[in-house]
Amino acid sequence: MFNSQEIISTIEMVKNEHLDVRAVTLGISLFDCISHDLDVFKNNIRSKIIKNASNLVSMCDAVGEKYGISVVNKRISISPVALVGAPFSASQMVEIALTLNDIAREVNIDFLGGFSALVEKGIANGDRALIEALPEALARTQRICASVNVASTRSGINMDAVLDISRAIKKAAALSAADDGLACAKLCVFANIPQDMPFMAGAYLGVGEADAVINVGVSGPGVVKKAIERGLENSPGLGLGEIAEIIKNTACKVTRVGELIGREVAKNLNIRFGVVDLSLAPTPTVGDSIGEIFQTLGLTSIGVPGSTAALAMLNDAVKKGGAFASSHVGGLSGAFIPVSEDLNIAEAAAGGYLTIEKLEAMTCVCSVGLDMVPVPGDISEETLAGIIVDEMAIGMINNKTTATRIIPVPGKKAGDKVSFGGLLGEAAIMNVPHATNRDTFLTRGGRIPAPIHSLKN
Amino acid sequence: MNKIIITVLGKDRPGIIASVSKSLYQMDCNLQNVNQMILQNQFAGFFIVDHPADLAIDNIHHQLEKDLEGQNLKIHADVVENKANGNNKVNEEIFLFTTIGPDQKGLVARFTEIIASYNVNVTNLTAIFKGGDEPTANIMSYQIAITSDTDQAGLFQSLRQKAAELGLDISIQHKNIFETINKI
Repeated sequence: MFNSQEIISTIEMVKNEHLDVRAVTLGISLFDCISHDLDVFKNNIRSKIIKNASNLVSMCDAVGEKYGISVVNKRISISPVALVGAPFSASQMVEIALTLNDIAREVNIDFLGGFSALVEKGIANGDRALIEALPEALARTQRICASVNVASTRSGINMDAVLDISRAIKKAAALSAADDGLACAKLCVFANIPQDMPFMAGAYLGVGEADAVINVGVSGPGVVKKAIERGLENSPGLGLGEIAEIIKNTACKVTRVGELIGREVAKNLNIRFGVVDLSLAPTPTVGDSIGEIFQTLGLTSIGVPGSTAALAMLNDAVKKGGAFASSHVGGLSGAFIPVSEDLNIAEAAAGGYLTIEKLEAMTCVCSVGLDMVPVPGDISEETLAGIIVDEMAIGMINNKTTATRIIPVPGKKAGDKVSFGGLLGEAAIMNVPHATNRDTFLTRGGRIPAPIHSLKN
Repeated sequence: MNKIIITVLGKDRPGIIASVSKSLYQMDCNLQNVNQMILQNQFAGFFIVDHPADLAIDNIHHQLEKDLEGQNLKIHADVVENKANGNNKVNEEIFLFTTIGPDQKGLVARFTEIIASYNVNVTNLTAIFKGGDEPTANIMSYQIAITSDTDQAGLFQSLRQKAAELGLDISIQHKNIFETINKI
C-alpha cells in the first residue's frame, strides 16, 4: 500500500519532471567473430549482433510500458573495432562501419558504439587503420559512434594520437560540411575511457566484459531541479549541505528506477546485467536541463563564477546517491554538460556567460568533458589538438574520465548558429581564442609521461 | 482457535480501539491483524481475531455490543474463510492505475465496471485530493491484481479509452516502480 504522497510524487516525476531511463545499451563482444577474411568477419558480426539484439527494442518498450517509464534510447555497444578488425585496412574499416550501420538499422537502433581504438600508449596497425577510416566512416554512416582513448592515468597521453585524431576530426567535419560537421558529433576522444558506459557517443564494450551485457544509463536533471525547487519553497533558507542532501536522495531514487528497468530487460533477454551509469544527461528540452539546475541553485547562469563549485557539489551528490542505490555503478556517473544538447547551456554560451575556458575548468569536476562544443570551422589542427590534450591532461592528472566531442563547423565562425537535429540539439558556435595558431608544442609528438601517482604497484 | 473478522464503524474519537481490544481480551480472544482508517471524521476498524472454540460468534458480537454500548458504533462479526478458499494469488502482479482530472459523479463506478468485466480484483482504492480548489487535482488510484489469465492489454486499453472519454489523465504502472522510488 502506498500513501497519497508516494503516488503523487512518483506520477509527477514521470509526467512533469521528465524521469526516464535515458539509455539501455546492449554490449556485445565481437571477439568470437574475428577473421582475416572481411566477408567472413562481416557475416559473423551480423549474425552475432542480430542474434543478441533482435528483441532489444521491443523488450525495452514492453518493460517501459509496464512501469510507465520510457526507455528513451536503445543502443548497442561492441568490442573495439580496431581490435576485432585489426587485420583490415582503412578502406576495409569503412566497409565494416557501413555494415554496422546496416545492422543497426535492421535492429532499429539509433546508435551503435564501438568503432573505437585504444591508443593511449601506442598505435597498432588496426588502430591506425581505424583512425584513418574515421572521417569517411562517420560521414557515410548515420548510426555509428566512434571513440578513441588517447590518454590514461597509467600510461600518459599519446600526443601522436591526439594530433592524428585532430586531423581526423577536421577531415570528418569537411566531409560532412553540408550538415555543419555532424560527423564529428559521433566521435569522442577520451582519457581513461570506461569500458561499460551506456551513453553515446563513447559507448563501447571493454575487453574484460562478458559476451553480452546490459548497461543502463539513467538521467533525470528535471527531477533533480524540481526536488531542489520544492526544498527551497518549503525552506527558503536551506544551506548547501541540505541541498546536496536533496540531490543525493533524488539521485538515489532515479538510479533505483534505472536498475529496476535494466535488470528486468536483462532478465527477459537472458543477458547478464552490468552496471547503472547514474549520469544526469540533459536533452534540448525545457525542464530537462543541467543548466537550469544552476539557476535553481541561485546562479544567474551556468558559467558565471560559482559554477564550478555548484557543479562539483552536484556531481558528487549524484555519485553518492547513486552509489547507495546500486552496487553496480559504472560508466561515467555524474553530471554531463554538453553544450548543444542542453538548451540552457547552449543559451549560456550564446549569451556570453559560458566561455570555452570556463567550460574546461568545469570539466575538472564533472563526469565528462568538452561535450558537443561547436567551434569555428577554420580552427587549426594544432589548436584543436591543444584543446583536446588540455582536456586529456585534466583526466590523466585527476585520475578521472575526461572526453572531448568538438565539432569544427565548416564555413562558420564564432556566434553563428548551428543545428545538429534531435537530441544533438543546437547552439551558437563558441569562440576559441587564437583558434588559427599553429604552435609547435602540439606537433612535437611522442608521449606525455604518466604522472607520478600512476606508480602505484 | 477459530478465526473471525470484526468490523467497527462510527464517528472517530479517542479510545475506540482500546474499548474493542479490551472487550476481546476479556473474552480470551487473540488479535491477529488489526487495521483502521479514518475517512474525514468516520472511523473504520477491522480486527481479525482467534477466539476460543467454546465461544460462539454470536456471543462475541453480543458481548462487544454490550461493552461498547453508548458509543454509537456499528459492529459486525463474520467468520473468516480458510486461505484455501480465498483468492489464488499465484502469478498475481499488482498494477496501480491512477486517474487525474475534474471530479465527476460515477467515476469509480465506470472504472470498476470495466475492471470487473475483465474479472480483475481491486485490492486497494484511494481517492487523493492534492489540496486547494484546483478541480483537476482530484486523483483516484486503484491497485488491481493482474493474473496470467487476465487480458492485460485489453483491460489497459479499455481503461485508457474510458479515461479519454471522461477527459482524465491516466497512468498505469506496475507497483514495483512506486516501491523502487519510495521504499528505500
